[in-house]
Amino acid sequence: MTGIRLEHVTKRFKTETAVDDVSAQIEDGEFVVILGASGSGKSTILRIIAGLEVQTQGHVYIGDMLVDDYEPRDRNLAMVFQTYALYPHLSIYQNIAFSLKIRHVPREEIDRAVRQVAARLGISETLERRPAQLSGGQRQRVALARAIVRNPEAFLLDEPLSNLDAKIRTTARIELKRIHSELKQTFVFVTHDQAEAMTLADRLAVLNHGRLLQFDTPQKIMSDPASQYVASFVGSPEMVFLEGNVVTKGTAFAFVDGPVELPLMGTGGPGQITVGIRPWDVVLTRESRDGGLLGRVTGVERLGSSDQIFIDLMPAPSAASPSGRGPETATVSLRALARAYDYAVGDSVYVGLDADRALFFDPQGHRLESVTASYRPA
Amino acid sequence: MRIAKRVATHVILIAACLFALFPIYFIIITSFSTLPIASITAHVLVPKPSQLTLASYHAILYDQSPSFASLLENSLIFAGSAAAIGLGLAAFTGFALSKFQFPGRRTFVYFILIISLFPGFIMILPFYLMFAKIGLIDTYIGLIIPYSAGAVVFSGILVKNYMDSIPDDIEEAALMDGLGRTEAFFRVLLPLCLPILGLAAFLAFIGPYTDYALANVFLTADPTKWTLALGLYNIANTDTGQQNYGLVTAFAMLMSLPIVAFYMAFQRYIIGGLTLGAVRG
Repeated sequence: MTGIRLEHVTKRFKTETAVDDVSAQIEDGEFVVILGASGSGKSTILRIIAGLEVQTQGHVYIGDMLVDDYEPRDRNLAMVFQTYALYPHLSIYQNIAFSLKIRHVPREEIDRAVRQVAARLGISETLERRPAQLSGGQRQRVALARAIVRNPEAFLLDEPLSNLDAKIRTTARIELKRIHSELKQTFVFVTHDQAEAMTLADRLAVLNHGRLLQFDTPQKIMSDPASQYVASFVGSPEMVFLEGNVVTKGTAFAFVDGPVELPLMGTGGPGQITVGIRPWDVVLTRESRDGGLLGRVTGVERLGSSDQIFIDLMPAPSAASPSGRGPETATVSLRALARAYDYAVGDSVYVGLDADRALFFDPQGHRLESVTASYRPA
Repeated sequence: MRIAKRVATHVILIAACLFALFPIYFIIITSFSTLPIASITAHVLVPKPSQLTLASYHAILYDQSPSFASLLENSLIFAGSAAAIGLGLAAFTGFALSKFQFPGRRTFVYFILIISLFPGFIMILPFYLMFAKIGLIDTYIGLIIPYSAGAVVFSGILVKNYMDSIPDDIEEAALMDGLGRTEAFFRVLLPLCLPILGLAAFLAFIGPYTDYALANVFLTADPTKWTLALGLYNIANTDTGQQNYGLVTAFAMLMSLPIVAFYMAFQRYIIGGLTLGAVRG
């Protein structure tokens, strides 16, 4: 049971910077998920913690121990690989027992530990088989068992669920969370799947191009993302972004993009700005209502329990649109969540925005935290 | 149409088998022939039982000098040492070339590939000059070195290619489980390489076992170190110019037995090695 600390860790491969000055403190017993697209450097960070990769700069601490010069075997961390990396020539029993055997643990003790962990993960009946004879879900459990049996300082998991069928993946996710709460050990889990990250993480580290963009609880990352990239990466369906301009309205400012107009507070002055709003904060109605914008449904994506509705807004009623983009401005498109089968392509709808929940970003994608919308229907 | 195609395919395959098998059949019946000096012209393709004898085998086993046993012993020493040494080194070579990053790795692989393209006998002269200088002519070690070297080159590439197909994850899992790289090599990678090592051992054994050119140059003066290939040539190359095909074929039959035995013993691995890449579990 130990925390892990990264101090200004940078990793360069030839010309490419895979990890760029990442500092983070992972607390003892915490379940931390590193979330990023492929090539974001998330696996590299995990491999640096493991000692399989050596950082170009910076330091790694496990507990209070500086482990920069430690071989993987001296770090006492367990790793679960995406491919599971079971030893194909050994039985499941031998696979799980391998690390204990290396440490010359007495035979009876190994036997007890292996059978105990196998029972816990429901793979007792597979112990005499070879990895090739097991299903994907079983192999994943063996990989986990191999990690648990060692009682390591911390667990490193590199996309361990991504090779599983969707259905098993959900169960495996729940089970992993249960195991974590039982073991109360430090877990560092890498994934590109934001839903997986959200459900598993105590804290979530979002990574892009090797940089740590935000390291916070899933709730904070969802409601209070540090940048447009983070906002777009978490949440499904993806956040809607409208690019518009801040214009003066008498003494106040407002965000304008075609027919969309949001009175703003806290902005510094005119300029380009992006507003982000979650599809579930876009409210659709059949009947006209105050402040509702008329739109037409251009597409419906069936998500199962709900539909994602694609909407083109009608141009602003006043021909003299104050939008700074000029008259040829393209139609404003939005997405909303609605109950399944409520809307069909071609329907006319009225769109309301839950502007209190809107987020604002500058053209570089940085969050403008001081800016808020005060959307008061006229 | 499909039937015609199948028939044509089978006719071609059967013809090819006949071409491959007939010489072996010919050698077998000739080696058992009673004809005093089995001659090609006097040969019958389907001999009667009365025309069969073990006389040629008896002559090979008991009436030759150097004795067949001595020739066999030498061949096994040479081929066995070459296979063992060559393979041992090749395993490390393959490991290094497959799993380690170091400058010049690709160049080195190409270098080895190019070397393996040269026919071995063009190196005989330089080897001879070199070994004569350091007194290794007519010694066991003098022949084991070039044989092993040949095996390293060839098997090294085989092992490298095979190790490339073993995911790095597996070695890394072993490192995480508490092994150093050398231990991970011996306890995880090497056992996984058994199929290719079996094939490589077989090939590394056959080469020296059947080699005539190098042995003929290196083992000139000392018949006690002669190999089977040299012994066979000695029988075939009579002073009279009259060939005793019975003796030659009986010798060839006996000489091939260890290879067949070797093959049977390691069949599992050799076939596994030959069909590599067909199935990946």
